[in-house]
Amino acid sequence: MSLNKLILLTNTVKLGRNVFAARVAQTGHCLHHFQSRRSVRSSARSLAYAKDLFLGKVNKAEVFPYPEISNEELEEINQLVQPVEKFFSEDVDSTKIDHEAVIPPETLNGLKELGLFGIQIPEEYGGLGLSNTMYARLGEITSLDGSIAVTLAAHQAIGLKGILIAGNDAQKAKYLHKLATGEHIAAFCLTEPGSGSDAASIQTRAMLTEDGKHFLLNGTKFWISNGGWADIMTVFARTEVVDKDGQKKDKITAFIVEREFGGVTSGKPEDKLGIRGSNTCEISFEDTKVPIENVIGEVGGGFKVAMNILNNGRFSMGSAGAGVIKKLIELTSEYAGTRKQFNRSLSEFGMIQDKFATMAINAFVMESMAYLTAGMMDRPGVPDCSLEAAMVKVFSSEGSWICVSEALQVLGGLGFTKNYPYERYLRDCRILQIFEGTNEILRMYIALTGMQYAGKILTGKIKEMKKGNVGVVFEILGKKLKDSVVKTVDFGLTGKDGVVHPSLTESAKMFEQNAALFGSTVESLLYRYGKTIVEEQLVLKKVADVLINLYAMTAVLSRTSRSISIGLRNHDHEVLLTNTFCKDAHFKNNFLLTQLQKNSLENSDANIKKIAQDVLAKRAYVCSHPLDRTF
Amino acid sequence: MNAPRHLFRIQCIGCVSRFLGTPVQRVILTGGAHLQTPGSHYSNGQFLRPFHCSAVCSTSRPNQTEFEKAVEHQMQHKDKTLVTHDDLFERAARDSKTKADFNRVVDVFNKADIRRRGHVEFIYAALKKMPEFGVERDITVYNKLLDVFPKEVFVPQNFIQRMFNHYPRQQECGVQLLEQMENYGIMPNVETKVLLAQIFGEKSHPMRKYQRIMYWFPKFKHANPFPIPHVLPSDPVELARFSLTRIADGLDAKVTVYQYPSTDITETGEEVTHPHIIGIQSPDQRSLLAKHNPCRPVYVEGPFPLWLRKTCVHYFLLRADPIPPEEKVEEDFDPEMIGPEQSLFYPQRVELDLERDFGDDESFYVDDVEEGAVYAMCMAGQGDQATLSQWISGLQETCPILGQIPTVFRLESGPRELQTSSDAQQTPEQEVEIDQIIEEDPQRTQGVNQ
Repeated sequence: MSLNKLILLTNTVKLGRNVFAARVAQTGHCLHHFQSRRSVRSSARSLAYAKDLFLGKVNKAEVFPYPEISNEELEEINQLVQPVEKFFSEDVDSTKIDHEAVIPPETLNGLKELGLFGIQIPEEYGGLGLSNTMYARLGEITSLDGSIAVTLAAHQAIGLKGILIAGNDAQKAKYLHKLATGEHIAAFCLTEPGSGSDAASIQTRAMLTEDGKHFLLNGTKFWISNGGWADIMTVFARTEVVDKDGQKKDKITAFIVEREFGGVTSGKPEDKLGIRGSNTCEISFEDTKVPIENVIGEVGGGFKVAMNILNNGRFSMGSAGAGVIKKLIELTSEYAGTRKQFNRSLSEFGMIQDKFATMAINAFVMESMAYLTAGMMDRPGVPDCSLEAAMVKVFSSEGSWICVSEALQVLGGLGFTKNYPYERYLRDCRILQIFEGTNEILRMYIALTGMQYAGKILTGKIKEMKKGNVGVVFEILGKKLKDSVVKTVDFGLTGKDGVVHPSLTESAKMFEQNAALFGSTVESLLYRYGKTIVEEQLVLKKVADVLINLYAMTAVLSRTSRSISIGLRNHDHEVLLTNTFCKDAHFKNNFLLTQLQKNSLENSDANIKKIAQDVLAKRAYVCSHPLDRTF
Repeated sequence: MNAPRHLFRIQCIGCVSRFLGTPVQRVILTGGAHLQTPGSHYSNGQFLRPFHCSAVCSTSRPNQTEFEKAVEHQMQHKDKTLVTHDDLFERAARDSKTKADFNRVVDVFNKADIRRRGHVEFIYAALKKMPEFGVERDITVYNKLLDVFPKEVFVPQNFIQRMFNHYPRQQECGVQLLEQMENYGIMPNVETKVLLAQIFGEKSHPMRKYQRIMYWFPKFKHANPFPIPHVLPSDPVELARFSLTRIADGLDAKVTVYQYPSTDITETGEEVTHPHIIGIQSPDQRSLLAKHNPCRPVYVEGPFPLWLRKTCVHYFLLRADPIPPEEKVEEDFDPEMIGPEQSLFYPQRVELDLERDFGDDESFYVDDVEEGAVYAMCMAGQGDQATLSQWISGLQETCPILGQIPTVFRLESGPRELQTSSDAQQTPEQEVEIDQIIEEDPQRTQGVNQ
């Protein structure tokens, strides 16, 4: 163990040095160099931050210091951002897109010219070849129009991602060039009428033809973003696979399907609440002939492809949400500053100030989480940041909804009208909580993945405890006694070798306390529920919420520590935001963790379940009308 | 009738009367003349003591029918002898027994004697006769009966009267009347309260009874989550629909009318009646039936009784034997389809070697008895095999597999038709028929319909 730590420590030191080296390095190197440097910059990743929180451990090496990009990269991205920003402020008419429910071709062409259809496609295939971090940065701007953001995301975050991460060189060479320029648009076809998140009910079937060179694809896919105009589709279908026992079994396989193959028909675009300019429709395949070379990965390996695509596409929602909120703060603060009521401007009223603080904190936290996660994903190796990405998605989708709603509220009745963009933002951002895995499903994913991880390690210990092993029991009792006497928990975030800046000590302590309590709560939950924890969705929801808060606290602590250390502009404001958020999250966590204790008074899960059961049994509101009489 | 207003008025009177005495009451009560029946038909004598008559209950202006005259005459005639009030009702009910008849008898009694002599006996007799006249669930009739009591005279006037049981017989009678209402589940209304207050005063036994009823009745009113209306639908199709949904309380279950009742006359002049066939099946039952092993038979069983208050209806089941353990096919789980990775988004199972802790195991032991699945239910106008085969063929439209499954009819020789308590007795011919069937197969008639 200690040896391991030592290696890690040296690695971090190296990392720091490398970062420093990069910062002072002269500009003017060609880009290839930087890309190669990007990959050697830090140690191979072996630890998982969020998962280890379930064990009550804080892997500070993973999240401190806050990831940063080199000056060259920064310059590069800034050069990219400027024209995109200009394009979005001048050439994109969001009101018209929303009203007419279509993105005009000239706007699309503009996006193509900016290279926004191939942000993450390597340069050798004609894309921009940007890292996740830089992709997130661009996401901040593209999110200013929901329809365009979704169109772009459906194209490259999921649509062509399959080719990018699991395709072979021939497939990449064949498809990526045209996809990068936007000549071809991609779509991701997974959802079916009878199957949302459940792979077993996929009905679309691919049959191998007799000559063994083609698959015949039959079936219907629902709610396909870009379905109407996509030329290349990643389609998931059942195929018959002979397993090692010689039995035939159905497995999911991923295919690259061109519209050219024939037999592909798309339905009428759906009329939606928000993101109206994006194209969502049904696609059906009828005897579509797909050559065998177009299988992504291997036959029967589509499940993992789908998982990987979905798990890695989510992190950018944080920066997108932050982008929208930042824009809304600008718009509404102008109104609040000029509008007068009772001879005072709106900005002087406490309740209005409260709304702006909420927006600022949320934007700050989302940003911090998104770029921390993107930075983690950009490290070499095969990073598994799916848990972190899911947390970013849940936090930012819910935060955006609240903030947009608050921004609208500042304007009162005006915000409700179509003369202002707030109602459009509100409608557009509602989808964030639904697509790419609903927040409910992602909470389950977050909590269960962590529980599984912690369970594997803790099972032995818990079993010993259940058996009544005196040694283990005493050890735990002793630990509890020690915890109750020595109130402070120390993960080494603060203090002599601390990674958090001293001005954030209080917040860091709060985080440490929560993290320690979370670890012991997870242990007691595993003790209590074992593998039946899967059925305890209300418990899992709370576990997920605590973890999201913990990760958010980590992100802001890490980011602000860096800001103070390197003296970024207005870092005092960041300290303020961090301390405010951490205090709030700390109390929320304490409440949630108290609810998770056994026989907790604060927990009304049983009642909640009962209410729902009563209502659902009747499929109606149960109570009699308050005006009803019995005599 | 503006009863609450009147109640309020009575309370006012209570206050005023303390100072002024009864005459004021008279004035005020008659002041509320709009409540009284217009064109009062009371005799002069009653006008002298107006507080004896009702200020609340309206009486319809009686038409002086022949019958009434006769009764009146008789009462006057028999004035000196003991009048049996049962007779009064018997006589009134000679040709018909309706609410109007009942009301008329009460009116006649009210008019016959100013003093209402024998009113306790009359009320007891009336209570007994109410079911016969079919008015045992009518609150207005009860109020009308209460109205027979003379007003004011039984109200205790001082603390001694209040302390002892004032006019015990009358109070007992009032309590009996309320008790009968209670037994029939009739909730008193404000009018009842007004009458009771007028007759017995605010703290009498009947008033207490009234208060207790009013405390409990509303609480029990919705105690039954599956109420049955007092009047069942007369249409057999509607009745079957009601009964079937009552047994199969699933919200997804769908009622299908396979055949409406009708009568055709064939060319030969024979009357052919088509009995109604109404079935119910839920989507779950349908999918279970679709999975049924065609080698094993399904059974049509019945008739089973279902009681709806006083009516008995019969239903039939389509069921199968429990699946023997060796035939139970475990749905083969594909580790990738249904494994920890079944959902694209989150694991469906956590692979841990840890069970739920004993302290958190809130389930309790339930002895599950294996039973065969019930696939569908029906009600039919006739319980013979031909009718029920029609039901089965109707079911085949949604479940084609039923055509391949052998269907065994295990019909017990019970009642063949809808039976109500009124026509429960069978004609001798029917009995003979059933005997014959029993001789053929002492236990059940069986037939295999392939």
